[in-house]
Amino acid sequence: MRIVIGEGSCGIAAGAQKVYDALAPLLENTGARLGITGCIGMCFLEPIVDIYEKGLLLKRLVRVTPDDAAAIADAVKSDDLSPLDRLAITDEDKSFLDRQTRIALRHCGVIDPEDLNAYLDVDGYKALDKVLHTMSQDDVIAEIKTSGLAGRGGAGFPTWFKWNAAKNAAGDEKYLICNADEGDPGAFMDRAVIESDPHLLIEGMLIAAYAIGAKEAFVYVRAEYPLAIVRLQKAIADATAKGYLGDNILGTDFCCRLRIKAGAGAFVCGEETALIESLEGSRGMPRLKPPFPAEKGYENKPSNINNVETFANVSWIILNGGEAFAAMGTETSKGTKVFALTGKIKRGGLVEIPMGLTLRDVIFNIGGGIRENKRFKAVQLGGPSGGCIPEALLDTVIDYKALSATGAIMGSGGMVVMDETTCMVNMARFFLDFTTKESCGKCVHCRIGTKRMYEILTRITEGEGRPGDIELLEELCDAIRSGALCGLGQTAPNPVLTTIKYFRDEYEAHINEKRCPAGECAALRTYTINKDACRGCTLCAKKCPVGAITGAVKEPHAIDADKCIKCGQCKTVCRFGAVEVR
Amino acid sequence: MCDCAKSDLTLLDGILAEYASVRGSLITILQKAQDVYGYLPTDVLYRVAQATGNTPAKVMGVATFYTQFRLTPVGKHLIMLCKGTACHVNGADAVEKAICEELKIKDGETSEDGLFSLKTVACLGCCSLSPVMMIDEDTYGSLTPTKAVEIIRNIRKEAAV
Amino acid sequence: MSDMIRFKINEKEIACEKGTSILDAAKANGIEIPNLCYLKDLSPYGACGMCLVEAANSPKLLRACSAKAADGMEIFTDSERVVKARRVALELLMSDHSGDCVGPCKLNCPAHTDCQKYLAQIAEKDYEGAVATIKDKVPLPASIGRVCPHPCETACRRRHVEEPISIAYLKAFAADKVLASGNHVLGEQSAPTGKTVGIVGGGPAGLTAAYQLALKGHKVTVYDKMPKMGGMLRYGIPEYRLPKAVLDQEIAEIASLGVELINGCALGKNITLADIREKHDAVLIANGAWKSASIRCPGEELEGVFGGIDFLREIALGGKPAIGKKTAIVGGGNTAMDACRSAVRLGAEEVSVVYRRTRAEMPAEDIEIKEAEEEGVLFRFLTNPAEIIGEDGRVKAVKLQVMRLGEPDDRGRRAPVPVEGEFITLELDSIIIAAGQKNDPAGFEDLPTTKWGTIVADEHNFRTELEGVFAAGDATNKGASIAIAAIAEANEAARHIDAYLAGIELPYHEPVVSEKELSPEMFDREKAPRAVMPQRPAEERRNDFTEINYGFSEEQAVAEAKRCLSCGCHDYGECKLIQYADAYCIDCKRLKGEHHPGFRETRLVSIERDQGKCILCGLCVRVCEDQAKKGILGLVGRGFHTVVKPEFHDAAVIAACKDCHLCADNCPTGALKII
Repeated sequence: MRIVIGEGSCGIAAGAQKVYDALAPLLENTGARLGITGCIGMCFLEPIVDIYEKGLLLKRLVRVTPDDAAAIADAVKSDDLSPLDRLAITDEDKSFLDRQTRIALRHCGVIDPEDLNAYLDVDGYKALDKVLHTMSQDDVIAEIKTSGLAGRGGAGFPTWFKWNAAKNAAGDEKYLICNADEGDPGAFMDRAVIESDPHLLIEGMLIAAYAIGAKEAFVYVRAEYPLAIVRLQKAIADATAKGYLGDNILGTDFCCRLRIKAGAGAFVCGEETALIESLEGSRGMPRLKPPFPAEKGYENKPSNINNVETFANVSWIILNGGEAFAAMGTETSKGTKVFALTGKIKRGGLVEIPMGLTLRDVIFNIGGGIRENKRFKAVQLGGPSGGCIPEALLDTVIDYKALSATGAIMGSGGMVVMDETTCMVNMARFFLDFTTKESCGKCVHCRIGTKRMYEILTRITEGEGRPGDIELLEELCDAIRSGALCGLGQTAPNPVLTTIKYFRDEYEAHINEKRCPAGECAALRTYTINKDACRGCTLCAKKCPVGAITGAVKEPHAIDADKCIKCGQCKTVCRFGAVEVR
Repeated sequence: MCDCAKSDLTLLDGILAEYASVRGSLITILQKAQDVYGYLPTDVLYRVAQATGNTPAKVMGVATFYTQFRLTPVGKHLIMLCKGTACHVNGADAVEKAICEELKIKDGETSEDGLFSLKTVACLGCCSLSPVMMIDEDTYGSLTPTKAVEIIRNIRKEAAV
Repeated sequence: MSDMIRFKINEKEIACEKGTSILDAAKANGIEIPNLCYLKDLSPYGACGMCLVEAANSPKLLRACSAKAADGMEIFTDSERVVKARRVALELLMSDHSGDCVGPCKLNCPAHTDCQKYLAQIAEKDYEGAVATIKDKVPLPASIGRVCPHPCETACRRRHVEEPISIAYLKAFAADKVLASGNHVLGEQSAPTGKTVGIVGGGPAGLTAAYQLALKGHKVTVYDKMPKMGGMLRYGIPEYRLPKAVLDQEIAEIASLGVELINGCALGKNITLADIREKHDAVLIANGAWKSASIRCPGEELEGVFGGIDFLREIALGGKPAIGKKTAIVGGGNTAMDACRSAVRLGAEEVSVVYRRTRAEMPAEDIEIKEAEEEGVLFRFLTNPAEIIGEDGRVKAVKLQVMRLGEPDDRGRRAPVPVEGEFITLELDSIIIAAGQKNDPAGFEDLPTTKWGTIVADEHNFRTELEGVFAAGDATNKGASIAIAAIAEANEAARHIDAYLAGIELPYHEPVVSEKELSPEMFDREKAPRAVMPQRPAEERRNDFTEINYGFSEEQAVAEAKRCLSCGCHDYGECKLIQYADAYCIDCKRLKGEHHPGFRETRLVSIERDQGKCILCGLCVRVCEDQAKKGILGLVGRGFHTVVKPEFHDAAVIAACKDCHLCADNCPTGALKII
């Protein structure tokens, strides 16, 4: 029997390593092997323990704690897994995975990411072998063109076109770069791929390097992903040792070195020219385009940049053919896309589905809908460059074009679900706060423009909004869109524009009625005590930091609205639910 | 030289020997230097500039551009509180408030006992466990204000032993 | 490669070499595309967003500095979309640009006289330069310097250190110095245009317009009803404050430009407006406000009741008004002060000022009140004439209603309220009513007037309803004000008349300027007291009309001028940012928000930096690195909080920086200054 524990960052954070440490001594000398795998993608069930027999998954145990270790060990020893049924995944939860189509994530949570052999067992490096021995550079590019693969980092630019441009650019020295600076808050599929299947990335990159004629490749990884860096380092070392990387790969003339560069904390470095600046050891400030990186990139040499998920699709396309990939999806968007489904969702995690499903499919069918039976309000796609899509548009199909038409974007795949308690003005403010902090400061529109938008949104959420603020925001959005230098700035208005477009009434309520319909904006909240529910326990009065609550013992209390600072402590301490917020 | 505190610059020798002549390694060198010193003292930055042939202005520019770099010492434990979208939606603001009140500091500051520094970060990539924080290498998920304060108090207790 | 590209800019066919940027191609064809971060020899940077242009069939705006011209392109450099984008860029830049384009002195002077500049010139003992600076706006500096109530000093920020600079007296000092030297400093005169302008009224406004128009090459004639030119400066201000010999010299200088001065020529009496219009291509009416206002009090018709300005005029004309031994002056303004002090000099034994509020509310200059007190004038505050009591048709006494101050009104001014039944009676030989001036509409029957009887003139271009007839100064709109306000209007009117004569309509908009927020650190300076004007002792000066001030010594003046804090930006004249802001008529305050505090950093050896003025165009950093090959300046921080910082770590860098100045030379604003 083989016992496998999901040890991606999320799993570890949820306690997977503690479970491992508890199980390891108990399984000694039992004949059962204990191992790890990467991210299974069902974050809401972590830590997850899988029990395999001869490659067959016998039981998937979820929300396991170290206290369960003894029971697991006993069950394994006695060969009777039935006592573990209380930990087993439910059929409903299982459907989370069953309803997906996994290509980029196909080995995630299945193989041991730290074991090259495990990768080889699932046809690892076979695509590379095929490419190096049977295909020309143009063949590879043609295959990718057939597949219709588009950049999964956000913009959705055809991958073959970039490869072809880099291949055709003059010069012998070319570079291949993997953008693993996954900065969109709410997206973590790239981290999952590197942590769970690093060789898949390496193989995809090698095929691309071969296609464009690069001998040198970089993976630019966020410094916030230490585990990904460690696993990728090991994978590079193992692959190099086995001849999959370095000189004369698989006995051919093809040579390629792969290096990891750790980013140092700058969202803007997800923009390709800023990333190049950063790779060169400079401040990550975007360059003017043209020239595009395919012409003048790293060290002013032709360079090609793709993101992790894009590379993760490459070996599958080579092995199964571009047509098989193109068979999935819609007219304009082919293949699958990975989403990081989070927020107020019942089943959150990584979801890979064919293009063409609707947002409703993902959120309600796979994700199980909203937690605590609250009402769905919006889904945020594309992070700070994207937008909030309302309920009325839930049947929008997942497709680059269709999503752009809503004002949001496909983006890198962050999908944050919000319920009725989320204030959309505050949401816009949140994203502008992010953008101002992450703006590199180079161009005026982004540096000062986003700052001003943030200030206006802040005053609206604080009840200081003025008539005309919505129009002023719209004007600034328009100017920043056309005036900002790079993608970060040009798309920064999207969260504001979409929330104004779909939730204008919330803006108006804040400005005109000084009211936050979601009840999230503290400055616009009023706390009152329901006289019928209050038992006069005096706890709230004791806790109130400003003495705004008065009342005799065992008599209903009252809050002096003038004194109240809206800290909410009364509501937290009240055991009778008597404190009401409006 | 500069008028700052004197750091033991020999600790840089190994790093510089490995990377000083490698093109585009400035960020890597600064990351490794920060691992050594805990932060980037000014004299270290000048030494790096000199060894890599960069101007001090360029080194300062890079060191102040990226949020990972710190020009002042941090507390024994670094709390990185995620303020990503999912964490925001699930109440990261309340967690931040509770941590700040517990430690009597603001974002970017270090507690009086020198034990904790707080830094909010854009996204730790553990969105499904939101709200999340990392203390040093350990990630803590599904936080509530009470839970976050408990975690900090436990570390404090351990430190007192 | 000599591939040629053909494309269009603003529908004009343009050819350029392949690889040329749109900006360069436009420039080569005489089309300027605005930019703030572009320098020909550096690679384009793309920060400022000013060079945005629109291309036909392109949804995105292009940055002309980096976008290359391509065959068949159709570029529009000033389309509505482009202008809008640039305006927002400028408004954003100005919202984070904290500097004083011009100092508060210049801003507050109605004529916007460049006080800071001439103070610096005085500090350098360049008196002729100083007078040239002043005369650009004020052609009567020795006179105005003596009498101006100096709004510049009221605004002077030196008051936050200790006291404002004595700007007005310094102006008189410099002008006196030059007059004494026998040299004449006059603006450059253009070749004759063959056009003629008739000016009605030879006061400060009329003379100023005459000076400015004569410099433009027009033939100017001034018509004035009084025996001599100077208007209120001559007939409204006593000799002891402004010796008429000084005024004569300054008028002679104006006349030397070929201005014809005709005195004793009253409109409606000796000549009509129609006559003047007939004779000239344009006319300016600047005849002032010469009637004393009434206080509507019984007994005003009695003998021994004088109007304030009538009284002063009689003295100026050489008369000696019969005011007797006891007189009272009604009013609290500067005319009241001139009148009471003149009364003292005429030999009155008891001179009282009757004013219905308290000293704190008096509109007169504090120094004038003080000097009047020194000269023995009595002040009866909170009193108001209820009735002038006569005997045999002559003033015998005045019955004064006792007043108190009521509640402050909207503007915070406390209105005087009568105290029921309380009166004082003051025995008098005469009473002088100095309660304001009114206009005499005689001779201007063709022109519409306001409800105050003033001539209606456009506030921006000074045109009246009559073609070619302009009007400015006390005679117009809101009526009488201070001399410098009349001068300010005259300057503007002259500009518009000059344009009118050339057949041009000048557009109007308020000049765009940025203003700094004040902080205590700005005033953390070593204290240096304001220069005290040497003066004749009160007991001596009260006996005659000889000038009471001796004027500053040179030593005093230079030291006083050096007290200037130089608030205004040194780069105002050259600043590209403000030129664009002005050209695009932006609103500096619309996008107000957090901004970089202005502070001066002098750590650099030969340049001074003001972060508040920096627009992060990066030119200084780039020229320091690419052209000077020094790399001393760098960007520090990120996003909104980015700043430019120099890094000095040793003597070699300091030495390298010295005397290069490339950064300051290329700074589009005044953020860098060579010191």
